[in-house]
Amino acid sequence: MEMTRRDVLVAGAAAATGVPLARYARARSLPTVSKAPVSNVLIARAPAYTMDVYDTVYRMVAAHNLNVRGKKIVLKPNLVEFDAHTVINTHPVIVHAAWEAFRKLGAAQVRIAEGPGHRRATLDLAEAAGYFETVPKFENAFTDLNLDKVAHLRIPRPVSTLKSLYLPHTVLDCDLLVSLPKLKTHHWAGATLSMKNLFGLVPGGVYGWPKNVLHWAGIAESIVDLHHLFPRQFAIVDGIVGMEGNGPIQGTPKHAGVLIAGSDVAAVDATCCRIMGIDPEKIDYLTLARGAENLSPSAFRQIGETVESVQTTFELIDPWKSMIRAS
Amino acid sequence: MVCCIFKSMDWKSKQNSDGGWAYAHGDSWTEPTVFVLLAQSVTGIDKPSFEAGLRFLSAAQRRDGGWSPQPGVAESTWVTALAPFLPEQAVDPEALHRAVSWLKGQTGRESGLIYRLRQRLAGSPDRYPDGWPWFPGTAAWVIPTSFGILAFQRVLAIHGDDRPLRERIADGRRFLLARQCADGGWNHGSNRALGRDGDSYPETTGIALAALRHTPESAQLDRAKSAARRHLTTCRTAEGMAWLRIGLAAHGESVHAPFQPAPRTTLDEALATLASAPSNPLLS
Repeated sequence: MEMTRRDVLVAGAAAATGVPLARYARARSLPTVSKAPVSNVLIARAPAYTMDVYDTVYRMVAAHNLNVRGKKIVLKPNLVEFDAHTVINTHPVIVHAAWEAFRKLGAAQVRIAEGPGHRRATLDLAEAAGYFETVPKFENAFTDLNLDKVAHLRIPRPVSTLKSLYLPHTVLDCDLLVSLPKLKTHHWAGATLSMKNLFGLVPGGVYGWPKNVLHWAGIAESIVDLHHLFPRQFAIVDGIVGMEGNGPIQGTPKHAGVLIAGSDVAAVDATCCRIMGIDPEKIDYLTLARGAENLSPSAFRQIGETVESVQTTFELIDPWKSMIRAS
Repeated sequence: MVCCIFKSMDWKSKQNSDGGWAYAHGDSWTEPTVFVLLAQSVTGIDKPSFEAGLRFLSAAQRRDGGWSPQPGVAESTWVTALAPFLPEQAVDPEALHRAVSWLKGQTGRESGLIYRLRQRLAGSPDRYPDGWPWFPGTAAWVIPTSFGILAFQRVLAIHGDDRPLRERIADGRRFLLARQCADGGWNHGSNRALGRDGDSYPETTGIALAALRHTPESAQLDRAKSAARRHLTTCRTAEGMAWLRIGLAAHGESVHAPFQPAPRTTLDEALATLASAPSNPLLS
């Protein structure tokens, strides 16, 4: 993401004046991302879904000096199932905090958009997940990607067997796609994070529920193709309470107390894997997207908290235990 | 009774200039357009609006005989199964024949020769019953299979017996029964993954029950009806509530919604109208 001198000044001024920070007395300071040509992944502690999260998320976004002034931003949470008592869905506080952060940084438009993979009643799902309660005028800010206007896109150099895809206008028209996944294990892919979250961009109104066309084309390969179609991405992973075991639906809550953010979403996902005690080099879609050699901790700059200081081992189901556990 | 809630439904104000309806707002799609026309057919037809809707659908039939989900998509999909429920003005016998031929040619990819051969080589000789996919070239799932069954039942009701159609209906029902969840209902079609049972959903349980109309009483069917009654007490979506009522009505149980969740979309409104109607064209 290009950063102009003006953007630096705007972000710096916002932080210096304390405008977005004044509400939160217990704000922690976070480092500013370096301008070096390596990817930066920022880890921040966030023990609970409290008001402090708003400040933390703002600082995480601001620290990356994203050029969002006047831009159209799409926030893509992970909405999966109706169950307010589990941790399947991205917590609404994370979504609202991201919405406020991008607005404060000058984005012209911030939309929340999602196309759930199993359930068709997306707005009902969002309501059950607490989005209406947390995000003011949620319905006006939201697009159901399953039912959005679509365009047909050829995939330039597909890794999967897909040649083309219909995709929603809302995400094709945006300047920055922000993936807001939950930190979860996944029974088919090993882990579901920023990149796997892109499955929700594929319109169910065209392909159905689930988006089975992606499964036949290769799950890992389709994730990578979708990732390549959206070069302007950012990710904020909700790892305050994640899901371990038989994720992404039937797993159990796992408190990790972290948020992870960055523009290089494959690097973000690799970092998330390390936090969960998973070897990212054994996750197919990460090696396909970045190459195993570029997933090592030295391949990108880890800022904020260290992985070791927040690492908490997530339980894995049997088929994955021996395959992806970090040694 | 339909009618006290929905008779005043103003379908016309939500109709697009091309004659179709959106799910909620924006472009017209085939599915909500069909369901609004069906809802109009039970609550009273607004002739200009109805005819504009029929023209939209009639013009949308593709050369291969199928329908795409919306005009911007150049592929026929599961929505073709809605064609038999439309009046002859929109789908004349020749057009219906082409739609049925297209539907006959659609099975889940797991029913295909190559997949079955691979499965056999991998030591799994079981043949999956033929269901219908959402999108050509993918696996069969509960909702498109249920609509495939309902469509062929409708064609048999209009045009009389046809052995291949009867066989596909029977196969589709076997598919549904094989995908029944341990709790008696249905989800999208994945009743068990990695040795663990999946939970059923209200809407898919209702749709599958509708497609299993006229099947002989059995313990499996009893469990399905029990699951639907259980879902009725907890369901929070207008879509789910409507399909549960339609599904149970298909088995002679006329139930009133214990409460009426607010419809979110035009499709929800149309489904709620059909669920309250004394005679449902989907089950005729």
